[in-house]
Amino acid sequence: MKTKGNTYMNPYLAGFLLGLVLLSSFYLTGRGLGASGAVKSVVVSSVATVAEGHAMKSPFYSKYLEGDQKPMKAWLVLEVFGVLIGGFISGAVSGRLQLKLEKSPKITNKKRIMMALIGGALFGFGSQLGRGCTSGAALTGMAVMSLAGYVTMMAIFGTAFALAYFFRKNWI
Amino acid sequence: MGPIVPLFYIPEELNLLIAFLIGLGFGFVLEQAGFSSSRKLAGMFYGYDITVLKVFFTAAITGMLGLLFMNYFGMIDMSLVYLNEYYMTSAIVGGIIMGAGFIVGGFCPGTSVCAAAIGKIDAMYFIGGGLVGIFIFGETYPLWEKLYNANYLGMVKLSDSIGVSDGILALIVIVAAVVMFWIGEIAEKKFKREDISNEI
Amino acid sequence: MNARIVLSILIVSFGLVAAILPQKQNSSIQLDAAQLLYEIQLRNHVISVDEMADAIINNDPYYQLIDLRSPEEFQTYNLPGSLNIPFDKLFTAEWAPYIDQVARKNVFYSNGSTLANEAWMLTRQKGMKNNYILEGGLNNWIATILTPTSPESTFGDEAINSFQARLGARQYFSGESASSASSANNAPRKPVPAKKKTKVAGGCS
Repeated sequence: MKTKGNTYMNPYLAGFLLGLVLLSSFYLTGRGLGASGAVKSVVVSSVATVAEGHAMKSPFYSKYLEGDQKPMKAWLVLEVFGVLIGGFISGAVSGRLQLKLEKSPKITNKKRIMMALIGGALFGFGSQLGRGCTSGAALTGMAVMSLAGYVTMMAIFGTAFALAYFFRKNWI
Repeated sequence: MGPIVPLFYIPEELNLLIAFLIGLGFGFVLEQAGFSSSRKLAGMFYGYDITVLKVFFTAAITGMLGLLFMNYFGMIDMSLVYLNEYYMTSAIVGGIIMGAGFIVGGFCPGTSVCAAAIGKIDAMYFIGGGLVGIFIFGETYPLWEKLYNANYLGMVKLSDSIGVSDGILALIVIVAAVVMFWIGEIAEKKFKREDISNEI
Repeated sequence: MNARIVLSILIVSFGLVAAILPQKQNSSIQLDAAQLLYEIQLRNHVISVDEMADAIINNDPYYQLIDLRSPEEFQTYNLPGSLNIPFDKLFTAEWAPYIDQVARKNVFYSNGSTLANEAWMLTRQKGMKNNYILEGGLNNWIATILTPTSPESTFGDEAINSFQARLGARQYFSGESASSASSANNAPRKPVPAKKKTKVAGGCS
């Protein structure tokens, strides 16, 4: 490997360590990891700030605003804030901090940005419908052997594999 | 006996500190594994880099075995551990939409945060898209409400639904994962893309 | 041997061990018998009638008397400020919040002490705290507070003092103030629920 310093950890070791993080989350708090829930908190609090009446009337937003729940102080928000800092520390340690738009040389920057936006929107929408994303539903769900976790995991990876051919230009 | 927070009266601030520390570990490991690179993540679906498969399944197996052994040695009360609720229709439809988002955008929410942290611009747009997607879901929620709540089957465990013990299911998952690891490593050699691997 | 083969064999054998281990269900909420026995011997859950009489007279809001007898018996006679939760209704949705709470000391009583003891054991086994029993129940209450016997003159100051207190208490409970106090306090106060030890929220919702 003659790469310029950006060597990654052995994937099996990384997986084992990630498993330990997951396990400590179960042992300490009884819940697994998550990510999309924090993004939702951001959306819910923004909507509630901009249009409070609208948010309280909506059957979706009001679920997360009832009582004295403060979405921005929620557990997942703090956890994802940790992800941000943890990722930054790791990037700094391994010398990977760099503003960069990653894409296949076959597509333009504009197309990559459009694709990222659309992909993000699809993932955001799907994670709400599926009650969790790859971390919250699939990874955590698999560790506790929940049927929902395995079904969601297979739906995510199955679809991605099935559609991979049509989007090959984006990546290879 | 765990889980600690729901069993003992842990102040909310401490619980949030725990959340932050767990997130710190989560983000660090994701970045170290290379999940901050969309082309590395997407490599899974073209066979040139199966890091996702390796990390994801190793983590799931570690967590699963850890919980099984902790339960066996009386260290954790599994009845207090969150078990995902199974709404069959929304889990499948949501999963399919997320799968499409994965191959189009190249991230999932967790990895996009971690990639944005080291300066990946595409990841920042992905997060922006995620906010929009959730906003759209929130605004159009009444349209999906029926689908969202359809076919509720409760907090079902896969082991119960196929009628084996938790341990046997763990063994099945482990054997399946090991087989996938071996096949994946062969695929990695076959679909090798030096040009991409050197870039990411 | 190849490291991959070693690791594969290792992880599969972990799986085999997991498959062989019997299923097990831990429960953190049920108290085990030894712990319960220890707590019973400590007798920290017993409140003497003198302490209770004192609390009632001083209108101490910290104590909540709970009458476990039937509503008919409760109507006939009850202690001021007590709440009637018949023994068989203890864990119903209506009353469960009153016995699983954190704000007050619940003091169980019935005619004797059997019912209160059983109720205390059941709630304690379920991990609930803040429940106590009135020593000797109503029978003891009547014998000690309402019809106190004067101690022999050879008894110490302490006995004399407590007799004086009981005499005062008797006047309080048989006097006019008794009826007004009991009617004012009989409306159940809203319980402060104990922190729910049920499944935590999780996933991404």
